[in-house]
Amino acid sequence: MRDVVIIGVGMTRFGKWLDRSLSDIGQEAVWNAVEDASVPPKDIQIAYVANAMAIQLTDTKGTIGQHVLAQAGFFGIPIINIENACSSGSTALRNACLEVSSGNYDVALALGVEKLFCDDTAKSALAMASGTPYAKFGFMFPALYSMELKNWMEKYNVTQTHFAKVASKNSRNGSLNPNAQFQKALSVEDILNSRVIAYPLTLYMCSTMGDGAAAAIVCTREKARQYTSKPLIQVAACELVSGTITLPGEPHVNLEKRAAANAFAKAGLGPEDINVAEVHDGMAPAEMLIYEKLGLCKEGEATRLVDEGITEITGAIPVNPSGGLAAKGHPVAATGLAQVAEIVWQLRGEAGPRQTKNPKVGLTENAGGWVIDDNAACAVTILKR
Amino acid sequence: MSDKQAPEPAGAPRQIPAQEGLFHQPDSPDDQPYLIGNRCRECGFVSFPKLITCPRCIKKGTMEEYHLVRRGKVDMFASCNAALPGFKAPSVQGYITLEDGGRLWSLITGVDPDDVNAIKVGTEVELVIEKLREDADGNEIMSYKFRPVAADAKGKD
Repeated sequence: MRDVVIIGVGMTRFGKWLDRSLSDIGQEAVWNAVEDASVPPKDIQIAYVANAMAIQLTDTKGTIGQHVLAQAGFFGIPIINIENACSSGSTALRNACLEVSSGNYDVALALGVEKLFCDDTAKSALAMASGTPYAKFGFMFPALYSMELKNWMEKYNVTQTHFAKVASKNSRNGSLNPNAQFQKALSVEDILNSRVIAYPLTLYMCSTMGDGAAAAIVCTREKARQYTSKPLIQVAACELVSGTITLPGEPHVNLEKRAAANAFAKAGLGPEDINVAEVHDGMAPAEMLIYEKLGLCKEGEATRLVDEGITEITGAIPVNPSGGLAAKGHPVAATGLAQVAEIVWQLRGEAGPRQTKNPKVGLTENAGGWVIDDNAACAVTILKR
Repeated sequence: MSDKQAPEPAGAPRQIPAQEGLFHQPDSPDDQPYLIGNRCRECGFVSFPKLITCPRCIKKGTMEEYHLVRRGKVDMFASCNAALPGFKAPSVQGYITLEDGGRLWSLITGVDPDDVNAIKVGTEVELVIEKLREDADGNEIMSYKFRPVAADAKGKD
């Protein structure tokens, strides 16, 4: 297998873009990535395009990648459409990397594009819930997060204030990110005083709807220097798993843990090597659970990471320097690739006021969907300079 | 319209199941509701909603239709103040493990969502079929829910 490096990333600002089409949003991210990579567009040989909701919410009812990329000037190359709920973006990256590592192609594009806002908010909300068949019986994702959080709070003496601290950190990070949907720094009090959605979750801890796109261009290490003089960011691992079913009397190994174990094994690295991470915090407090699931700390120690500021931009293991899903926004299929873009900027030292301390290895975790009693999919990607 | 279907009487909302074939709604006072799932004839694994293949045996054709028992215990639960359009908020929802081992997600009814002590992990619950929401024509969309077993009914069925 050949080494795969990321030579370019790009994204749109995440937000509410009622006057922009899916294709318009998508082409902007593609061109930002193409310019970042200094690659002639004709050299891109294959594209994976991730989208989760357009069939439900836009007039584009199929072959979404072909429609979007046509507006960016791409015709003729193989274009493969990917839908894997919130993990769609990372899934597209995984497959683009495999095309290059296998020797099939030398330069591949991964794009995640999503448009969730339409003229009918109820329609958008129902589409967002369509990741689970239980939605028609009243199932709510925030309640599911709440159940998991309440059990964990009891086990390890975690307080709602810890969760507010995480959400506050992420809102401060988002306030430094020109691509973030929400750029207002919120205090712990602001967050605790916002409306309770499902205790311990309050409004400002939760991600909401957004429009946006993000893209990455991957290339063989041999060819990369033909295009760019920027630091080359190697994709050391991009591992995808699906959820499992809990069988009575049998232990359940959580899917983030399984994806992370696979990724660390592939990269020949361990959690102690991670200098910066972007994780899938659909609700900000889930970030603390993910610290433990990824092995960034031992079980029960997530509160210490928060209390001691270890995951702040200035800390030893910064997490979600982009602002995470609640502050940066969560246009479903764009999220995984926006996480990757942030880590690439961090590893290159291009993150401006969000820049963390000289990171060499970064990680993204991107989970989504719900099947029976587990997430549908989870991808963990390890990038290194 | 060419076919001669009798029109529904105006102002008579119907009861419509949220999904066909998922549960039995009692049609008389003596009748009991039940959930319709599947059970593996080789290992006894119970699924609701139906899984076509047993996830433990992973063999073709071992699952058969099964009516789940009505009683179980709350595994975990949460109150939720947000709801999808048309649904009622606040709600209480959770995962229930039934006495026959079936485990499922459900709304929990008969509990004050604002009272955090109303139920706890391990609270005994039983199946009911209730109105979930109303559709645009005023029809009642019915669904399965679980409610705490009244203290005097515990241990009986």
